[in-house]
Amino acid sequence: MNSLDPRVLRLPKVGEPGIIQPKVPLDQFGSFEVFVQPKEGKPFQHEGIVHSPNIELAYVLAKETFTRRFTCTSLYVVETRNVFVSILTDGNKNAYDFITVVPPSGEKEGYEVYHLQKRGKQHVHVGGVKAGGPEEAMSMAKLAFHTDGIYNVWTIRQSDIRFTKPEELDLWMTLPEKRFRDAADYKGGDKLKNFLEKQKAVS
Amino acid sequence: MYGGGNTFESVKTDSVAKEDPAKLAEFEARIARSEKIEPADWMPELYRKQLIRMIEQHGHSEIIGALPEGTWITRAPGFKRKMALMAKVQDEVGHAQLLYSAAETLGKSREQMINDLITGKSKYSNIFNYPTFTWADCCFISWLVDAGAIVNQLANAKGSYGPYCRALDRICAEESFHLKYGHHCVIYLAAGTAKQRQMFQEALNRWWPPMMHFFGPSDKISTHTEVLMRWKVKMGTNDEMRNQFLDMYVPKIRELGFTIPDPNLKKNTETNKWEYTEPDWEEFKRVINGDGPCNKERLEVRRIAEERGTWVREALRSPTTAYVTPLA
Repeated sequence: MNSLDPRVLRLPKVGEPGIIQPKVPLDQFGSFEVFVQPKEGKPFQHEGIVHSPNIELAYVLAKETFTRRFTCTSLYVVETRNVFVSILTDGNKNAYDFITVVPPSGEKEGYEVYHLQKRGKQHVHVGGVKAGGPEEAMSMAKLAFHTDGIYNVWTIRQSDIRFTKPEELDLWMTLPEKRFRDAADYKGGDKLKNFLEKQKAVS
Repeated sequence: MYGGGNTFESVKTDSVAKEDPAKLAEFEARIARSEKIEPADWMPELYRKQLIRMIEQHGHSEIIGALPEGTWITRAPGFKRKMALMAKVQDEVGHAQLLYSAAETLGKSREQMINDLITGKSKYSNIFNYPTFTWADCCFISWLVDAGAIVNQLANAKGSYGPYCRALDRICAEESFHLKYGHHCVIYLAAGTAKQRQMFQEALNRWWPPMMHFFGPSDKISTHTEVLMRWKVKMGTNDEMRNQFLDMYVPKIRELGFTIPDPNLKKNTETNKWEYTEPDWEEFKRVINGDGPCNKERLEVRRIAEERGTWVREALRSPTTAYVTPLA
């Protein structure tokens, strides 16, 4: 391999160019859904996914991937398979109209409930319900939060969520010297003006 | 922010005729109403295929695009430039994560995307097959290649596929400093010594032809994309994007006293379009198909990194998790 970069030339010889070892299942790990709180007092909203071998690392990766540049005050993660999803509707159809109310059963647990209120936007947290299972959680959500214009409902059992602990909130305290990643720190205006004036004076 | 808005293979539209006409009409009506398409919605095969290609190639462009800039971190002039460049490169790799996730919602696994990049089956932005000889080349990328990508991506963020638009919104929000940083670097070279000015002029001479290639082949020779425009997969033709870039950045380059190496470059005041020497599309095709100055190096660096990481992934892998296609 020919390169201008000596560090590329020093890379160890591994395998053959253009050939990649077959990947085993879960080579890129499982999938986790990430929810962030954009501002203090605002509801949590769905933001995207991370791949991770476990929920603790998913939490760390979610922090790195989704909460840069002060756009968030808190976050949590859950395995994708633990999110219960209603059907997705459009037009005047309401997702809640397709959820049947079931009689309560079993031991009650907490579930978080999310709505998609505008197609193209994120699912937003609307509150919590107590239910004996995911089906009942949907049913309880219908009783508690049924409003117009809901295209999709998600429910997640609280015990499946990795929440931010109070003592972890300092994760988002950023060092003052990190201004090099702030657009406002790149004022080339004066330098450019001086340069242009000098050019004018010469010509 | 490095790529986006382009795919580099020809589009075969014959599958559209086989779609269920009622479902297709409903799908097109939804897009015409400016509603977004979500992963759980019905979509034509061509729409799915084309979006996977486009989003995946955009993700690859972020990963590969980080290489020619990343190589300059240790040699960037001064502590502040090093910190900024490191932050920028880290951002770009993060953007690849967001884009791969958006592509996954359409049903292609990340493993498959990585394989297809390394074996050369999927493409990435052609411009990264050229070398960064000097710091000025790196500044050209930070300012003008990013600027070109921003032109593409602001357009794409108004597209029809929800997860891609949301990823782009987030990417654009993180970008605010990249372009400013790149411009700042070039202003410092422009206002510096004669040698510094010469260094950037030479970089401009080297990078102008690939920059003109960046937006893809001319509309005159480009494959038919009418259906993709109607479905808001593609938000403007290659020439429209190129024209927009020239509109925004030619004056800024000239303001700094640099000469763009194309004597025919001028704005036609009647058509309001830029005229320029036709880029060498044969070179573009040759390079995108593997025969550029850095294709081999870029893919090798990526492949070796992937292979060397295998044991780490193996050590971390846990059978108690599961992969499920992302929800949104």
